[in-house]
Amino acid sequence: MYKLQNQTYMGVTTQAVTFTSEDGAYTTIPMVPDNTDYQQFLRWCEEGNQPLPAEE
Amino acid sequence: MSLVKANTYQDASGGSNAVFSGVASPPNSMGFRNRIINGNMAIDQRNAGAATANTISGYTVDRWAVSQSTSGKLIAQQNAGSVTPPAGFTNYLGVTSQSAYSVAAGDYYMIYQMIEGYNVSDFGLGAAGAATFTISFWVRSSLTGTFGGSLQNNANNRSYPFTYTISAANTWEQKTVTVVGDTTGTWEKTTNTGLRLNFGLGVGSTYSGTAGSWAGSNFISATGATSVVGTNGATFYITGVQLEAGTNASAFEQIDYGRELIMCQRYCYVIGGTASFESVGYGIANGSTAVNVIAWAPVEMRVQPTSTQVGTWQVSNASTGFAASSLGVQTGLCGKQSIALGITSSGLTGGALYRIEAANSTASRLILSAEL
Repeated sequence: MYKLQNQTYMGVTTQAVTFTSEDGAYTTIPMVPDNTDYQQFLRWCEEGNQPLPAEE
Repeated sequence: MSLVKANTYQDASGGSNAVFSGVASPPNSMGFRNRIINGNMAIDQRNAGAATANTISGYTVDRWAVSQSTSGKLIAQQNAGSVTPPAGFTNYLGVTSQSAYSVAAGDYYMIYQMIEGYNVSDFGLGAAGAATFTISFWVRSSLTGTFGGSLQNNANNRSYPFTYTISAANTWEQKTVTVVGDTTGTWEKTTNTGLRLNFGLGVGSTYSGTAGSWAGSNFISATGATSVVGTNGATFYITGVQLEAGTNASAFEQIDYGRELIMCQRYCYVIGGTASFESVGYGIANGSTAVNVIAWAPVEMRVQPTSTQVGTWQVSNASTGFAASSLGVQTGLCGKQSIALGITSSGLTGGALYRIEAANSTASRLILSAEL
């Protein structure tokens, strides 16, 4: 299940998409248009799915 | 042998259009005659020779991916079955069928490589004068018959199905397919897929088309091709894959391991697996619970990469290792070569320098992926 992640540096917050696979591997996807994993995430969202929200 | 030296060559009428017959053109030996990366299947950063899980889709040896419409039908592995590769090669990619599965119309099982647009832009695909190119490869299967594959564009709406015949079971055979370049359709010429090469291992009628011509369809293989997944335990081994401009297959372009690895690392760069405390770099604590660190990729990656943390990592001050988690890229900071990472820990001193390292394990790895 995808989960959003807030990333703050020098007072600027951006987001990434994360998920943990069954074997425990932790994946972080930068939100950049040409990243094919991000493109796959967007397609997943277009199918009506929603990621878990980012922790505050 | 004679050595000929001259300052000027003229034709019989004294003009400058002299024609040299019987002189072989030198091959493009200065680099990248073969547009396939890791065509000899030597580099396997992700799996280090282990079998891939039989999940739906994923990368096996570098640059080569497996796709299956229903999971569990095949597995792929570098040098599966441990047979002797063809002369001149030491590795191959082996696929083994896990069941006797009847392929439905919408099914697809295949291995493929997507070539970045920059690397085939000179083919001029999608316009008059598109280059003719030739694919060659060594293949071995427990099955015989007509096999199929295809070439496609980035949008999968231009396809060229092809066939080849495996005559003898469990015997390496070299195959050649020559393709007249497509003069229509949209073909990417920069960082997206410029050309995709598929080898079908069981493809249904929806994704199969007539061999030998371009079509405005999403065809992965040729109609009537042999299904590897249709036979339990069937094998399909391949190596020496080359795709080059022209109508003839030249000898496989052997590249030194280091350069081949760097070409692979534009799409996948793996840190870890060699030393127990292998490091991604040094970083500065951003407060008491987080560290920002830069890992430098050996080559500019195709795009800001996805990161996958495998195993346990820690933050260290060289005397104490602080347990850590969530090692991953940072969207706002990450470049294509300076890979900005963040990691979460506790008990750190803000502003202090820390080493981000594997937690005493060679199983800990960070996989950076910028695949097409």
